[in-house]
Amino acid sequence: MLAPNDLQIAESPAIRTSRALRFLPLPPAIAITFRLSMLRPRPRGTIRLLDRFSRPVTRPQNLYLQFRQFSSLPTRSAPTPTPTSSVQPDSDRVPLRKQLKQEAKALKAQKRQRKESEEASREIWELTVGVEIHAQLDTTAKLFSRAATSTSDLPNSNVALFDLAFPGSQPEFQAATLLPALRAAIALNCDIQPVSRFDRKHYFYQDQPSGYQITQYYEPFARNGYVDLYDYDGIAREDGERIRVDIKQVQLEQDTAKSQEYPPSSQLLDFNRVSHPLIEVITMPQIHTPATAAACVRKLQAILQACGAVTTGMELGGLRADVNVSIRRRGEAPGNNHYDGITGLGQRTEIKNLSSFKAIEDAIIAEKNRQIAVLESGGVVEGETRGWTIGSTETRRLRGKEGAVDYRYMPDPDIPPLVIGEDLISRLQDTLPTAPDQLVVQLTGPEYGLSIEDAKPLIELDEGARLEYYQDVVDALYSIHPGQDDTTRAALARMAGNWVLHELGGLLTKADRAWDSEIIPARSLADVVDHLQRKLITGPTAKQVLAVVFEGDHRPIPQMLEEDNLLLRPLSREEYLALAETAMAQNPQMIEQIRSKNQLGKLGWFVGQMMRTGEKGRVEAPKAEEVLRELILGKA
Amino acid sequence: MSLLREAERCLANQHAHNLNAFITPLSRSGKWLDRVKEADQRSEKGTPKSAIDGRLISIKDNICTRQLPTTCASGILDKFTSPFNATVVEQLEGAGAVIAGKTNLDEFGMGSHSVHSRFGPVKNLRRDSAGQEISAGGSSGGSAVAVAAEQCYAAIGTDTGGSVRLPAAYTGTVGFKPSYGLISRWGVVAYANSLDTVGILGTNTSSVRNIFSILNHHDPRDPTSLSKSSRSRILAQLQNSPLSTRLTSKPLRIGVPLEYNISELTPSVRTAWLLSLAHLQKQGHTIHPVSLPTTKHALSAYYVLAPAEASSNLAKYDGVRYGTRGDGPDGNGQADGVLYSNTRGTGFGSEVQRRILLGTFSLSADSMDNYFIQAQRVRRLVQRDFNAVFSAQHPLFDAQAVDPASVGAGASAGAEVDVIVCPTAPSSPPRLSDLTSESGQSSPLDAYVNDVFTVPASLAGLPAISVPVTVAESSRDSGADIDELAGIQVVGQYGDDELVMSVGELLAGNRLGEQ
Repeated sequence: MLAPNDLQIAESPAIRTSRALRFLPLPPAIAITFRLSMLRPRPRGTIRLLDRFSRPVTRPQNLYLQFRQFSSLPTRSAPTPTPTSSVQPDSDRVPLRKQLKQEAKALKAQKRQRKESEEASREIWELTVGVEIHAQLDTTAKLFSRAATSTSDLPNSNVALFDLAFPGSQPEFQAATLLPALRAAIALNCDIQPVSRFDRKHYFYQDQPSGYQITQYYEPFARNGYVDLYDYDGIAREDGERIRVDIKQVQLEQDTAKSQEYPPSSQLLDFNRVSHPLIEVITMPQIHTPATAAACVRKLQAILQACGAVTTGMELGGLRADVNVSIRRRGEAPGNNHYDGITGLGQRTEIKNLSSFKAIEDAIIAEKNRQIAVLESGGVVEGETRGWTIGSTETRRLRGKEGAVDYRYMPDPDIPPLVIGEDLISRLQDTLPTAPDQLVVQLTGPEYGLSIEDAKPLIELDEGARLEYYQDVVDALYSIHPGQDDTTRAALARMAGNWVLHELGGLLTKADRAWDSEIIPARSLADVVDHLQRKLITGPTAKQVLAVVFEGDHRPIPQMLEEDNLLLRPLSREEYLALAETAMAQNPQMIEQIRSKNQLGKLGWFVGQMMRTGEKGRVEAPKAEEVLRELILGKA
Repeated sequence: MSLLREAERCLANQHAHNLNAFITPLSRSGKWLDRVKEADQRSEKGTPKSAIDGRLISIKDNICTRQLPTTCASGILDKFTSPFNATVVEQLEGAGAVIAGKTNLDEFGMGSHSVHSRFGPVKNLRRDSAGQEISAGGSSGGSAVAVAAEQCYAAIGTDTGGSVRLPAAYTGTVGFKPSYGLISRWGVVAYANSLDTVGILGTNTSSVRNIFSILNHHDPRDPTSLSKSSRSRILAQLQNSPLSTRLTSKPLRIGVPLEYNISELTPSVRTAWLLSLAHLQKQGHTIHPVSLPTTKHALSAYYVLAPAEASSNLAKYDGVRYGTRGDGPDGNGQADGVLYSNTRGTGFGSEVQRRILLGTFSLSADSMDNYFIQAQRVRRLVQRDFNAVFSAQHPLFDAQAVDPASVGAGASAGAEVDVIVCPTAPSSPPRLSDLTSESGQSSPLDAYVNDVFTVPASLAGLPAISVPVTVAESSRDSGADIDELAGIQVVGQYGDDELVMSVGELLAGNRLGEQ
């Protein structure tokens, strides 16, 4: 039985995939197993180092089950109980449909309630949020070694001496990793620093082989940027049409190893990820609603993807976010805290490692409400680091101020300063792909005429591949008949948008297939749209043809239409009249209703009848309706 | 003597003496014998690979070798063998040399007497006048003793704050620390990266020079290795200027830093210093007092910076990917306990733990500004002191960036010199018993004072050599009737390595004070 919580979880596809990814597809080649007494103290004498350099024979059953539960929920519908298969006593059974309905209703009520209480608390308390994101750069080499970056290779197969912190090994900065980092900083409107430096951030953890992470703490390579968020980016209504969030800095740093927990006492480590280049983007604490914070991260991800800086988004673990949250009572004297030059704020807490947009929003709401509850009961908010578990309703304390880690930042004595030339920056500026906001403007402009609802997914789907495909279809449509006027072109572009997004999208969803531009070549889709637009085929025929191509028929469209006899041979007026009369004879009552009560909507039923009885693919709905109106209402 | 006979004699010496110079000595048989025989054949034909073809060269055990373990004299690496060779090892083997074994040291290079070793202290071949065992110096004590006891032709050490020069002075060998960045550190286990240099120990300056010429090359794997273009620029600067005639046609201007005449200087060392200066003067060179005012802060700065870097560099030793794990659970069993505390607590020796704690403290948020940052400032001032007294400009120092107010400031105005000559250590080697016994008189701080003359050149990255001089019995007023040995140090401007070795050669091995 599904708890409301589970449903909430199921709603977010991001969770499903990130869960699945935690499990490496292949058994680790070198697995390092050791006890983690820092996290889970165990009495002396428990097994340690049981199978160092070997791997566990079995997967922990409980985790595996949990994983299956998560992955199967959203994709497959719950098994429909059939009357014969019932083994449960009848009294215990609630029909599934009814059960789901009840739960949906409860959820809706819950949401409404939440919205109301949110609204009420917002009038009293002002929330302030700053965001930090870590994004994996799209590079072939690691930041400080020549080992290849990989997300899917055999664990521990791409590891250099320095990645494992072997004594005597030294870092070798890979200059090529700078290019995506610079593209990101430029896309985020930052000032690129001519000289920046690398520092060591010290802490002991099993995913950190050298005992420190190399990052840019004192002198990051980019500062003072900003990101603009628009209403269509999903910002909170109270933020209006647009808000600007300033970016304090962007820094280059190393990723850590990937650890995989095998409770109670084993961790597997995959060092392929060690030293994968990351950028950390830190915004100013200028966000005041949870929705806008989530929108900000979503937008940052879209920008980073559009400029080719990053590999994958949040849903695939390529991007992680931390948020800092503080509140203050409206209309009261400003708080005593200041962060990044913004004064008058309340004591803030940090929530680490949020892995979906929904988690960001939910965690901020929960943390804000916790802080309100603390302050309203006369308590004091402690500066601490907190965690968030997906599906939970409360953030949990990870470590307090007294337990705060002193990272002992130290300039790395082995790594020379990073000197970035003006020429490189301006060259990258010139070759930067169009920003998402500009794409929205173009696609919704007169040239393409798409709605904002269509333009957004077109840009964001499949990491830009869908948009590229769309452009190919439009280009093909233009090339079939060169010299069309602007109105025709815009109409074609709009139609193409509909087909790329909805018709093709529908086929993909139904077949549960991932995006691939080769399933239906752009030229084929263009031919279908072209024939439809020139009324050489009907809408249903067009859909049918598309499905056939989708199934793997690779004949050119004109040939297929010819061979399969799909081209529209228009019916004569006599044929339409005959069809209409046959249909009308079936339901004289309804005709009376249409006539007497002017229930024009019922005309559709007759159109349907005509389509069904007429020769397949030849009855054009508008013409059928025209004839019906004439016969029933006496209008031409 | 054939190379083979020389090698066999070294091998015999390695096994004859009980000096604990080696952690891993040369095996009695093996491929190396064939390699020496081949070198002998090349030598007969007059086609040796290099000046060290077929010679046995010892390697300090904090330099990685694929064939032999690399323990750093630490419990945490006591069974560790590196999967790769250090660049210097590759270079030496490429030149035909044979690795003579891995020498003992202070754990990870931290120490001045080679007593902080998991494998026991190194013993000096010499004894004091009372016949007591004395310190071999550190941290490259094993390398120095191996050279002094003829257990190898020459040895490679590392010098972070004097770790090659001090043992050279204590053992009567030549110890050379080149300019920072000339010899590759790839494969050299880091103690304090910004100070670490590979140094060379030999019985005379010519063997040191031969080895230096083989190691003095750019290495792309070491990010701090001086680039090829900088090397040729420095060479051009030295050859195409008045500097090129130094020592050949022009007498040298020798600097004597007034601040080095400290109260801790023992009379015998002071005598050796004076006689060395007199010896140089007799050869036509001129002596000039210079001032290095920041010297008195240099030692403190060094003992802030080196431990800070060490605490960072040694964070990698957790016993997870390599190295030796402690027994029992990883942490200390406390809920918020520190990961790996057990492994690190049992693996590291007391001096290493002391410096890790020191470094961790000086890098912590509350003391960073007062210690680490201050020490970096002092380091800059030390560099400025040297630049103010040397006639040669620092080749990597942007002349435009020199603060005009600082130029010519201090007592050294107008007293520009070619090299500085001073003692290597303020006193003769202490007794091992004083250093190792629990109730010993010496505290860690006493040991640190031995580095007072060697640390400034390390902070400034300058070339420095320690050469042995003998003070004749007749010129000393002490009652002892044996000659006293002392190490005299020559320090030069960055890149002036050849000049430093040449001046060292003028002094090395001289018996001074005879009428």
